[in-house]
Amino acid sequence: MDTIDTNRLGLPNLGLGVGLRSKHYSHLMQNDPVVDWFEIISENYMNNFGYGRHVLSHIASIRPVVMHGVSMSVGSTDPLNVDYLKQLKQLADFVNPVWISDHLCWTGVANINTHDLLPLPLTVESMHHVASRVNQIQDILQRPLILENPSTYLEFESSTLHEWEFLSELVNKTGCGLLLDVNNVFVSGFNHGFDPEFYIRNIPHKSVVQIHVAGPTDCDTYLLDTHDQPVPTQVWRLYQLAQELTGGVSTLLEWDANIPEYPELVAEVQKAKEVLKGHLPNVPVSRTSAVDVISNPVDHQMQATYE
Amino acid sequence: MSELTTLQKWLTSIIVRPGMLDDKIRLADEHYQLKNDKVIRPSLRLSSKQKIEIYSKGYILRLLECMEAEYPALNKLLGQNLFHTFVKAYLVQLPPNSPDLYNLGEAFPAFLKGSQPQTNNLDIDRPMYDLPVDLAMFERCIAEVSRIEGLENKVEEVGDNQMPYLFNTTAIYTSPCLKLLNLQFPLVDFVQHVYNELEPETPVKQDSFVCICRKNYRVNFHELETWQWHFLNSLQNKPNYMAAVMDTASVCSIATDTIMADLILWVPVAISLGYVYLK
Repeated sequence: MDTIDTNRLGLPNLGLGVGLRSKHYSHLMQNDPVVDWFEIISENYMNNFGYGRHVLSHIASIRPVVMHGVSMSVGSTDPLNVDYLKQLKQLADFVNPVWISDHLCWTGVANINTHDLLPLPLTVESMHHVASRVNQIQDILQRPLILENPSTYLEFESSTLHEWEFLSELVNKTGCGLLLDVNNVFVSGFNHGFDPEFYIRNIPHKSVVQIHVAGPTDCDTYLLDTHDQPVPTQVWRLYQLAQELTGGVSTLLEWDANIPEYPELVAEVQKAKEVLKGHLPNVPVSRTSAVDVISNPVDHQMQATYE
Repeated sequence: MSELTTLQKWLTSIIVRPGMLDDKIRLADEHYQLKNDKVIRPSLRLSSKQKIEIYSKGYILRLLECMEAEYPALNKLLGQNLFHTFVKAYLVQLPPNSPDLYNLGEAFPAFLKGSQPQTNNLDIDRPMYDLPVDLAMFERCIAEVSRIEGLENKVEEVGDNQMPYLFNTTAIYTSPCLKLLNLQFPLVDFVQHVYNELEPETPVKQDSFVCICRKNYRVNFHELETWQWHFLNSLQNKPNYMAAVMDTASVCSIATDTIMADLILWVPVAISLGYVYLK
């Protein structure tokens, strides 16, 4: 698996990007965005005809945009939410994204949405189930779906596959692409005791379309995917390896809580350039003893513009 | 039921159910005929239950943050502990079922209203129960107005000369993102203080006619005079301007001529704030 293959489903390397967040709307409407591209949380714009969509329209006119979802619930045993997929398609018609991504997870069942990215038992049954749904989704969206490995905090005893094996087989069965979140590999590797480098060496590199980097939190007995810190050295090291193996793919910094001012955000993602030159920043994993730390923060999606 | 379906229902029931973790897991184990320590692989650092707890704790904390973001003034009024108590009860009664987080708080005002004790209007504690409900309705409207379709990119600015409407009142319509609230408390100052991170004064009970609207992507909210509120309300529901004038005159017991004269002065203001527009 160590040979370089840059197929990426024919999708381009967009360079360095950041997530479009409401905190930066005002700045972005008045200043050059500096970064090469943006990722949006799809659900935040699907039924939004307010200022957020106005900013999105402006950004989409000057930079490539990628749509990243958190509610597709690819792994749920509930029926596919066709209304959701239609709305996603409508947004795609508006944004014209370079690609559309979501997560290898489920968000709920029995019509409940926990708004979390829940792990699947990695079994043959799950594989058939997810592959079937990915194929249906790709038919509706009329484009390949790009799936991200989530951070996970539990494993099922019934799992018979490693996550990298599951993803490789899913790619074979569906032709989907991968969004490799190297922070999530780091987090899950710590939590489940696997070698994150081995994981990254054993996914199908030619299907990796995008990489996520982010800062997690060390909660002593486990790591949490908090997206609220600078990227630590260990994650940059995995990023460096992933870029070597993929031949270079689009890079996106996720920062969703304790969000810094825009120039600081840009400075953080620009560190990727130094990493690729071999200069790894010396940043420890943030530690906390607080009990109310949140993974996958989503409240940044809820912001109005008042007068 | 497939094994995957059973596992998903088992874990979801633990995550969304209220109560102590051990009780929630025991009930789910019994109901789905599973044993948590045979379902979730323990590690050297964490037991099966501790791993499940990361998800069940995260579920509540994450949604509490979302509700705090949508209802900051209500959070301020109630204090965080009481606000969290209501939100947690709300999530138990109505677990989220939409992929859109903006739907999470949609039924919260009705939930608060339904949670009120049955008292009569003369009860001295009545305002204590009514005020949070009014405030929740107010903040929910703000959230909705910030996202629904408005007039941006659809209506050209009339500029300084807004008098042509006088010659063609059939062209006057209310904005699609105009929301009108008849409240029991004047809340505009309270909400503005909270949003500007100032210390608000708790309002005293008094009929309040509020308009929440958006223009050029900025949400504004103002207290209206009674007749202004009724005029906008009628214009939203009546077939035309004159029918709205007649209705307002009737409801407010004001002469039609007086309403029409006042509108000559006020409609330009309503246009500038985006309440109404000329088609």
